[in-house]
Amino acid sequence: MAMVSAATPGPKPSQTRRPGERPHDAVSTRVVLAMQGVTKSYPNGRVALRGVDLIVPEGDFVFLVGPSGAGKSTVIKLLIRDEVPTKGVVLLDGRDLARLKRRDVPRIRRKIGIVFQDFKLLPNKTVRDNVAFALEVTGARRRDIDPAVDRVLQVVGLTGQANQLPGQLSGGEQQRTAIARALVHNPRLFIADEPTGNLDPLISWEIIQLLLRINDLGVTVLMATHNAEVVTAVRKRVVALENGRIVRDQTGAAYHRED
Amino acid sequence: MISFVAFSLRRAWQGFWRNGLMSLAATATVVLMLALLAGLIILLTGLDATLDYVQQEVQVVAYVKDSATAQDISGLEASLQRMPQVTQVNFVSKDQAYRDFLARHPDEADVIESLPTNPLPASLQINLRDPNDYLDVAGYLNGQPAVDRVMNIQQTVDQLVTVIGILRIGGTVILIVVGLIVLFTIVNTIRLAVVARADEIEIMRLVGASDAFIRWPFIFEGAFVGLLGAAITIGLLFLGQGPITSFLSDYFKVLPVEASATVGQNVALIVLGAGAGIGVLGSYLSVRSYLIR
Ligand SMILES: Nc1ncnc2c1ncn2[C@@H]1O[C@H](COP(=O)(O)OP(=O)(O)OP(=O)(O)O)[C@@H](O)[C@H]1O
Ligand SMILES: [Mg+2]
Repeated sequence: MAMVSAATPGPKPSQTRRPGERPHDAVSTRVVLAMQGVTKSYPNGRVALRGVDLIVPEGDFVFLVGPSGAGKSTVIKLLIRDEVPTKGVVLLDGRDLARLKRRDVPRIRRKIGIVFQDFKLLPNKTVRDNVAFALEVTGARRRDIDPAVDRVLQVVGLTGQANQLPGQLSGGEQQRTAIARALVHNPRLFIADEPTGNLDPLISWEIIQLLLRINDLGVTVLMATHNAEVVTAVRKRVVALENGRIVRDQTGAAYHRED
Repeated sequence: MISFVAFSLRRAWQGFWRNGLMSLAATATVVLMLALLAGLIILLTGLDATLDYVQQEVQVVAYVKDSATAQDISGLEASLQRMPQVTQVNFVSKDQAYRDFLARHPDEADVIESLPTNPLPASLQINLRDPNDYLDVAGYLNGQPAVDRVMNIQQTVDQLVTVIGILRIGGTVILIVVGLIVLFTIVNTIRLAVVARADEIEIMRLVGASDAFIRWPFIFEGAFVGLLGAAITIGLLFLGQGPITSFLSDYFKVLPVEASATVGQNVALIVLGAGAGIGVLGSYLSVRSYLIR
């Protein structure tokens, strides 16, 4: 599998960053995702993204912020190849997603773990079976499934609830189940689209802590959120979208512009 | 691979029962179609065999007047023997005809025995070298004073051919119409199954399930419907085997006994194939129009 250095397909980091921001060793870092000049207009004519350049090196933790309708979810849809860009290139792990053959899409998706605001759990399956489902439907061998599920349930701290149904779980536990399912393929990139949108502040904090821990394990994390408090408190890289354009890309940043 | 098949079969089975009422309704339409198909095949097989028999064994049968003398008859026999088209001539006397009738229809013995005189005519049975010479020989016999009438086999053959033709065309048309209804029902059943699984399908796509994992369970579900319908139809045919066999031997006396066994086997195979085929076709069409994007 080809790895791409940040320097080759993407724009120069200095063009997307303001001077003095995150120093970025473009040559030595592996890039998980790169977007270059990406414009996306939907069939109804709405332009959701306009000339977006974004490079995320391996191990990064990125908050994608911006007002409603700014294009955050559109970025995510492009990354999981639910949509293809109207203009520009999206590279994931060095593969141009628009050029991907149909039958290669599933394999690429297994490199991504994704969770949403609504947890998308199957209500009639237990926590364990919800997580195992992701392996079953991708053809994992039976004997590999149980240990893998145990491992991720441990990571998210749901070992004790493994046999409960989603309806018998709190919102936070449901989201942790979804996170476990997203992790079970050992993804290179973990994407969360407003993962705390349905959770109260305390539980939201738990989820963020969990995502930080996952990031510590070496998984690149991209999280779209409106949760200003959390973003400002953890001081990670913040990419702000407005009207389909990146208006700020800052490391160690707050939710709002601070200058 | 094994896990893929196991997974698909398990999901197909679950899907079938999750939507049980609709699945069973679809199965019932499959049974209807297959029963029609089986009935048509059985009927046509019987008729075809009869036709074959009648055509092969073309025998000219001439009934002899009761008033004809032994000389008349032997003279006629001799002139027939000289005809190049004729291979063999048999004379069946009135008494012989009477005994033959009793042997064939023992139930009707009282009726015929109660008659004051033997009503059955004597006959000449003439075997031909070539069935196409039938009219020549029949024409010659018709001109003979000792001959009462010549049985018109050609008419029987023509009638049989017409009946078989009508049955074949009519049956095929009805089968096609019923088949389309069945197809429509299966397409709808599988569409409902797809809708019922919309959430699962979304998750499957998100976690990177290949298209095969998403589609094949539905194809198998359609195949279940078809195969279950076939199994039920074969079960019904098996239960009805007795009546069907006696129907066949009553109406198509000429059908060789062992034929009904092979007919049964062929019908079972055709029913199985048609059931599976229509199930798979229906679900494939459904998956194509409601799932693939
Ligand atoms: N499938 C679609 N068809 C047409 N327009 C769409 C579609 N999806 C999104 N849009 C439009 O694209 C723009 C960006 O939407 P997007 O969902 O990316 O915003 P967002 O930043 O995720 O917003 P939110 O914070 O509310 O989730 C919006 O104007 C939206 O109306
Ligand atoms: Mg959104």
